[in-house]
Formats: sequence, structure tokens, C-alpha cells
Amino acid sequence: MAAIRRSGGVVAFHWQGKLRDPRDEAFAKTLEQQRFRTIEKAASEEVSVGWVTPRDPTGDSFAWEDLDGGTGTWLRFRIDKKVLPKKWLQIHRDAAEKARGKKLSARERRELKDDLTEKLLPRVLPTINLVDALLFYEQKLVLLFATSKGAREAFGKLFFETFTVPLERLNPLLCGLLAGLSADEKHDLERAEPVRWPDHTAGGRPPRIRPQQNEAAEQQEAEA
Amino acid sequence: MKQATQGGETHGFLGEEFLTWIWFRWESDGGEFTLSGGRVVGVALDDFLAFAAPSEDETEQTLRRGLPTRTVQARTALRQGHRLKRARLLIAEGARQWSATLDAPSFALSGVKLPEDAEDCESEEDRTADRTANWLQLHEIVQALYARFLKERLRPDYLKTVGEEHARWMAS
Repeated sequence: MAAIRRSGGVVAFHWQGKLRDPRDEAFAKTLEQQRFRTIEKAASEEVSVGWVTPRDPTGDSFAWEDLDGGTGTWLRFRIDKKVLPKKWLQIHRDAAEKARGKKLSARERRELKDDLTEKLLPRVLPTINLVDALLFYEQKLVLLFATSKGAREAFGKLFFETFTVPLERLNPLLCGLLAGLSADEKHDLERAEPVRWPDHTAGGRPPRIRPQQNEAAEQQEAEA
Repeated sequence: MKQATQGGETHGFLGEEFLTWIWFRWESDGGEFTLSGGRVVGVALDDFLAFAAPSEDETEQTLRRGLPTRTVQARTALRQGHRLKRARLLIAEGARQWSATLDAPSFALSGVKLPEDAEDCESEEDRTADRTANWLQLHEIVQALYARFLKERLRPDYLKTVGEEHARWMAS
């Protein structure tokens, strides 16, 4: 088994609530309940998302030691997608229209698509995407090694279905609330407004800074 | 004119102010930060900067390669009051060095490069454990720097103290 990656992009998530301890063997059993299930022979367009391990991409085995990443737990999930290739559909449609000598109606096009889907999809191989994540139990932190919206959403859904705990993506507000600030600081953080730095290239005015909120309030006062 | 504050509900602007503050601290104090627990890290801006567009219908300015922080374009953007939206950071702690591009409004890290694997790694399992620790360290360093920034930013007298220094630096 190759080591976890040394480069790439990550998105961080936080959870609140209780999660099963990954050092407990029952953790692997919980993953297994949402294991990846193949759609290799499926006869309809579909997507399958489920857990696998870094050692076994099939989802058939969940050995506890395969998830061991030292200070963190190495999770991997798999997304398979099966889609009828559009070019095949176009080729068959063109051939049918040529044989008929006229365009197919909307109903005929739909019937042709259904027929082709039934015939061709069992022969189409799904695209496979393996995505890693590191879970740090003590820190209530997950680092997902994918930045695309699709992968983030699939991961959040799978995580919730597995552990019934929602993940929250870290952002400047949430990071601040988790940064050990005092109650007053948290209160101020939640109400913080952007500082509008002055433009020194437009007229050489002396440096003055003020929060945007104050400026808007002053403008309202002036207008009143 | 509507300000372009991506992620307003998640305080994306604070991420941008944080990234700009790192630049300010790097140029003013040398970029060495003593974080909680006494850990000392060095932070510098590398070869990629993107300034947030001042409003939704204006162009975002991106500078790549070489030393973009030294360019006339970068200084002009600061003098115009623009915040950094994304930047490539070099972070060092002891002999270890990370590089990563931080997207300030979302706090996503891209193009991360971890330090070299430790010399005593003998197996793939050792390498995984070492890299896992390095991923966590990188996250913790960024969070600790952000906490340090917030301590300054949330001071009641911020605008009259650090904010004023920051404004002078941007105007310089």
C-alpha cells in the first residue's frame, strides 16, 4: 500500500457531537455499513458512493489497521458514475433519421434513448474516483483531499449517513469561534465588519480607516 | 458600489484581512511568529498573489512568478486599499517547510507541499504517519496564526493601534 499523499489541495471540516473512536474496531464496522457497492453491471445511469480502504478499493474488506494513519485515521471513499456516452446516442439517432429520411419526433428520440440505455449501459464501464480524507478524532477535524463541490457534497452526505453527525466546512467565522476566544471576542467576531482601507492613489488624502458599517451609518445620517 | 465580500455570512472578508495582515507582519516584523505553546514559525509570501476585486463588477488582479510582493502593481493595489484574496505561503518551523496557496475567504489550501519525509521513515506506514502529522501541523499553524490575527483584530482599540500601523504600511 502506497503512503498517503504529500501534496495537493485540502478542505477542512469540523463536527460537533459524538463520533465513534476510530481506535475502536467498531469504527471500521460502522464504515462497512456504508461500504462501496459496485455498479459495474448496472443497466441504468447511476452513481455509487461508499467507503473503501486505502488497501482495498473494492469495499469488500475493512481491516482496522488499513485505516491507521498514525496521528489520524486515513479514510477513503469511492465515487463511481455510469453514464451513457452522448456520442453513441447521437450516432444511433443520426442513423435512424437517415434510414427514415426525416427527423425523429421527441417521443421517438426518447424511445431510442431508452432502448439504447437498456442495450448499451451494461457494457459501459463506470468512471472511478477515489478520494482520501484524514480524520483527527481529538481535534474533531477532517481534512478532505478534494476541493471540488461534487466531492465535498458527496463526502458530507456519506459522512452523515455513516455517523449521523453533520460536517461543517471551516471558514473564517467558524475558525474564529473555535480559536479559544473569550466570550466578548466571540461576540465582537460575529458582529465584525470589513475594514475599508483608504485609496491613497486618489487624491493623496491622509490615511484614515474606518469599518464599513460606520461609513454606511454616516452616509445614512447625512442623507437624513 | 457593492463591495465584493465573498462569503459574507462566513466572514470571508476576515480571511482576506488575515492574509493581508500576514504580509504586513512579514514586512514589518520579519514574519516570525511565536504561537501558543511557544512554537515559533516563520511565514513569508511566495510567488503568487491575487487581490480581491473591490466590487463585484471589477477585475481581480493576479500576480505570479518571481517576487510579486516587490512589484509596483502589488504596491499600487495595497495603496488602493485592496485586500489579498489568495496567496502562496511559505511556512517554516525548525527544519520543516511547507508551501501552500491559501484561499482566504474559504480557508481552502491548494497546491500544498509538505516537508520532505523524515529520514527515519523505513516503510510506507512510517511515511503515512509522518505525512499525516505534517498535514495536521500545517492546519494547526494556519489556525494558530489566524487566532493570533483575531486577537489583534478584535481589540476595541484596533483601528487606532494596529489598524493604523497597517493602514500606514499599505499606504507606504
